[in-house]
Amino acid sequence: MSLKLRDLIRQVRACKTAAEERAVIAKESAMIRTAIREEQEHYRHRNVAKLLFMHMLGYPTHFGQLECMKLVASPHFPEKRIGYLGMMLLLSEQADVLMLATNSLKNDLNNDNKFIAGLALCAIGNLATADMSRDLTPEVDKHLGSSKPYLRKKACLAMSRCLTKCPDMIEDFVERIVSLLNDRSHGVLITVVQLMTQVLVMDRKEYFENGGDEDGGEYDSPCRTAFLRLVPSLVKLLRNLLSMGYSPDHDVGGISDPFLQVQILTLLRLLGSGNVKASEEMNDVLAQVATNTETSKNAGNAILYECVQTIMAVESDDGLRVLAVNILGRFLLNRDNNIRYVALNTLARCIAESGGGGGAVAEGGGGDGEDGAANTAASALQRHRTTVVDCLKDPDISIRQRALELIYHLVNQENVETLTAELLNYLVLCPREHRSDICTRVLRVVDRFSPDDRWRVDTLITMLTIAGRECAPNVQSSTAVYISRSSEDLRAYSTHKLLKAVRDDDGSQRGLLNVGIWCIGEYGDLLLRPYSYNLPSGNGGGESAIDLSGLSAGESTTLVTFEPLEPTAVVGIVEAVVARHTCPLEVKQRGLTCFTKLRERFADVADGATLDRLQALVKKYEDSHSLELQLRSCEYGALMNAIKGVSVKRGSNGGEEDIFGGGSSVSESVSPTVVSAAKEALARMPVVDIKLMQRKREERSGAMTEGDIFNGGSNDAAVARAPKSSAAGAEPNLLDLDDIFGGSTASATSSVAKQNGSSSAPSQPSDVDLLSDIFSAPPAAAPAVAAAPAVGGFDIFSQPPVAMAATPINTNDLFAPQPASTTPVASTNSSAAVMDLFGTTPSPTLIPAQPASSVPSTSEVIVPGFTHQGLTVEFKCTKPDTWNKQNSVLVAKFINTTNEPLYGLHLQVAVPKYVTMEMKPPTSTTIPVSIAGGSSGKEVTQTISVTNTMLGTKNLMLKVKASFTSKGTKVEHMTTCSGFPAGQY
Amino acid sequence: MISFILMVNKQGQTRLSSYYEWLDMQERVALESEIIRKCMSRSELQCSFVQYRGYKVIYRRYASLFFIVGTKTDVDLRKSIASSSAKKKPSSSSSDSGGGGGGGKQGRYDKAYVENHENELGLLEFIHCLVETMDRWAGSICELDIMYQLEQVHFLLDEMVMNGYVVETNKSNILRPIDLMDRESKKNEGMFR
Repeated sequence: MSLKLRDLIRQVRACKTAAEERAVIAKESAMIRTAIREEQEHYRHRNVAKLLFMHMLGYPTHFGQLECMKLVASPHFPEKRIGYLGMMLLLSEQADVLMLATNSLKNDLNNDNKFIAGLALCAIGNLATADMSRDLTPEVDKHLGSSKPYLRKKACLAMSRCLTKCPDMIEDFVERIVSLLNDRSHGVLITVVQLMTQVLVMDRKEYFENGGDEDGGEYDSPCRTAFLRLVPSLVKLLRNLLSMGYSPDHDVGGISDPFLQVQILTLLRLLGSGNVKASEEMNDVLAQVATNTETSKNAGNAILYECVQTIMAVESDDGLRVLAVNILGRFLLNRDNNIRYVALNTLARCIAESGGGGGAVAEGGGGDGEDGAANTAASALQRHRTTVVDCLKDPDISIRQRALELIYHLVNQENVETLTAELLNYLVLCPREHRSDICTRVLRVVDRFSPDDRWRVDTLITMLTIAGRECAPNVQSSTAVYISRSSEDLRAYSTHKLLKAVRDDDGSQRGLLNVGIWCIGEYGDLLLRPYSYNLPSGNGGGESAIDLSGLSAGESTTLVTFEPLEPTAVVGIVEAVVARHTCPLEVKQRGLTCFTKLRERFADVADGATLDRLQALVKKYEDSHSLELQLRSCEYGALMNAIKGVSVKRGSNGGEEDIFGGGSSVSESVSPTVVSAAKEALARMPVVDIKLMQRKREERSGAMTEGDIFNGGSNDAAVARAPKSSAAGAEPNLLDLDDIFGGSTASATSSVAKQNGSSSAPSQPSDVDLLSDIFSAPPAAAPAVAAAPAVGGFDIFSQPPVAMAATPINTNDLFAPQPASTTPVASTNSSAAVMDLFGTTPSPTLIPAQPASSVPSTSEVIVPGFTHQGLTVEFKCTKPDTWNKQNSVLVAKFINTTNEPLYGLHLQVAVPKYVTMEMKPPTSTTIPVSIAGGSSGKEVTQTISVTNTMLGTKNLMLKVKASFTSKGTKVEHMTTCSGFPAGQY
Repeated sequence: MISFILMVNKQGQTRLSSYYEWLDMQERVALESEIIRKCMSRSELQCSFVQYRGYKVIYRRYASLFFIVGTKTDVDLRKSIASSSAKKKPSSSSSDSGGGGGGGKQGRYDKAYVENHENELGLLEFIHCLVETMDRWAGSICELDIMYQLEQVHFLLDEMVMNGYVVETNKSNILRPIDLMDRESKKNEGMFR
């Protein structure tokens, strides 16, 4: 026999470990299962009671569900009672057994005993399904009119459940609900008010789902109209409560029934919003509640809180709104944290709702708010600004979060400096997981309200110093963009400041290091000059957030000076950062770029030792385990050598070269064009045009999805390096370089890849096949790149690493595509500008590798087809789309070299499987005699569009069959044309 | 509406739980343990509201026992209504009318229209009312009273809250029927515990 409930609880309590407890429960569960199987009716309800206990402890109890059903059907009240309880607790609404209870419920609803009927109503209220609701609503409705308040109140909530499940029944019961409002029992009143609220919410949802007007607060439905007529009686009810005086039955802390008052106010809010007439009717009573409610107790504050919400939501007059805002102001000053919490919450909601709800920072201080509430709430907020800001220092995280939310809404042109300082202060204190979010918000605030560029840059740098570890990549990139867009003076200031910050940092603020090292690289020359600036007081300029916030009111100006630095010192600082073993890869990459750029910046001022040191630092990574670093190191080495006038020594590193058959390493002197191109590559990055970039990015994200462009392009680009190099080939590429520096855009960069691809002409098919296999990685990279632009903000840095695939550098050739497929990882964090630099640098290094016989891709090529019995066919080949090199248009030109016209021309063309073709009819089937020295205008042509899906690996081939009648005899001729420029068609 | 009511002691052991929307057993256990951990990490002076996983948790501590009421936050309620109406559709399609209509349009609900109306301060007051009622019922209630008379406390709670809505807050109106029913039950006592 199983245990008594009391004994079970005792045993569980005696358990020392969780395992022991599980054992006890498992044993008891087994006993109960046995009892259930053996139909031990006598213990049934005791078993269910035990199951309730086990259920509370978190153990499975599903096997007891049917027992509950049996108990519910029992004639004995205690059994029935525990059965209902078990049903409500153990069963979910979805349980199938629930429908078994429908009949018992119906019987019990009709029972004369009010307690039995009450149990049934309670069960319906808690777990009725839609089907049960339909079946049982008539009985529930009967109880709504019961003489016993005990049943009426339960019936109200049971009905509320039924109507929620079957909203289509609402209309039938509206009248019944209305009559209940005159009840004298508070229990019935509070339930009926909740029922009405519920019905209104349902009704409104229904209305909007069925295509109601979205923005208007006003809507009409039969049930709302009926309820609106009740506003006066609701108002009367509320007024009665207020003036009732002391009634021991419902008194809570000197206030009569605060629960009911709160519920009535909620209902009034729903009815009054968007309805002027109803709002007018409730105006007086709202004022009465707002002024007369006792605030010494929590209950009173609960009512006031609800009242303020209602005043803000309905069309109340301005005086009332001011009253409400003042109450909130009083709440804010309250010592009780609970009350401050609700005040902050309500203020934020009021402002968010009146500010258009667009999610943007609300225009505070009487901006464009057309709504009166917005202005009063916002101006009140401004009055209580210091209080709100103080809440940021509260030890309670709930309060701090609310205050933070509110402060975002508070910021405007006037207070942006102090408030941002406060935000930065909070950034120091707040938990790590919130920092990223705050950084993004500060960026948004700074972006929008910043008084001047210096302050903006200053704030962002300070922020990076505090939370560079956590801040989102777009914060870093935006900071870099702001610095690069500012004046030369400011750049010097930022770079000095960043250098100091980088030097003092312990290497963990990744974001700071990224931005700092980038700036040092870009503007390293500015560091060598001293810098001083007269700062108006209180405007920041200190090194930490604390200094920033400290409003030094005394002095009128602060002099900010930075000592000039020695090149060696600058290099030393960056070196120290990169040398740290905790230094993240992305920082190292940026460090490499920085060294390369510094080498160029310091070229004239620094001594030879420093320059050599820089070069050595870059070279150090030539054998790095990170392919990215290795690749960069080699490329930069080549660049620096190019500037020095030493040409790239190709093949010095051994065997890979042979694969491409280009083993002849070239070491002729570098031409001036290459030197200038290399210098150009290491010059400062162009200032980002944000608009242009956003546009380009949109275009790019469209083009990127094609994917195969880059597939083709990059494959060929890698091949392109195989042919012998020649300085002459640099010319077209320099043009591209200009493009890149002009726009610094992805499309320009990718066009490099394309052009390289199209100009390559490998002659060894076997090598080409091998390469295509090796290089089959890039297509996978392309989608990743396409995802990169999704990173918001104006990050210049999500430049596609597409060009990376085209980076043809000596030993890395075989692996070139692999960095390409890994770089998207780097670029999706849209990390710093190095990405850009990288996108561009390959071009100069390409220069020596450019094939001499490069054919401009846009120009047309004339390929001779065949000549047979007086008919000559030529194909004029063009590329119709710049974005898809696979497509070509061949225009067959027919030339009659006989002295009589040719008739009945019919051309048939067959292509290999990897080519798709579309032919247009010829312009004429009769070919007149061609006049020597030029066509007479009556040239016969036929257009053929082909798409070579294996462009770059296989060449276009045509099998041509022409038939025509020449001088009365039918001629047929079949031949193969394969003279198309390899790699292009 | 109220989503759940919990009574948890200082050791984190649940002494009573009542959910007004269905949650899986694992979810319940995880929710209870995390909420109590959050509540216990807060000092007396801090406010009684905690946001947790889409719930607004209102708690109050009486001696060693935490009384915790959870309600959905505004935003999540909007979502849950949309999804529940989507869920409901198949079940109501068996009956003749279309029920709630398409559920996928939650973007259409204005935030002012479908929000959770629960008043945090009001719920705090309700917790106090619940405790006072239990106090009067058992005469100075303690943790063990709740534990050993679990079903009785549930009966009491059912008189006060139904489906997440408050039914009655008047102590005598709550306790009178309970007394009557208990007397009724005592008549055929015997195996009740």
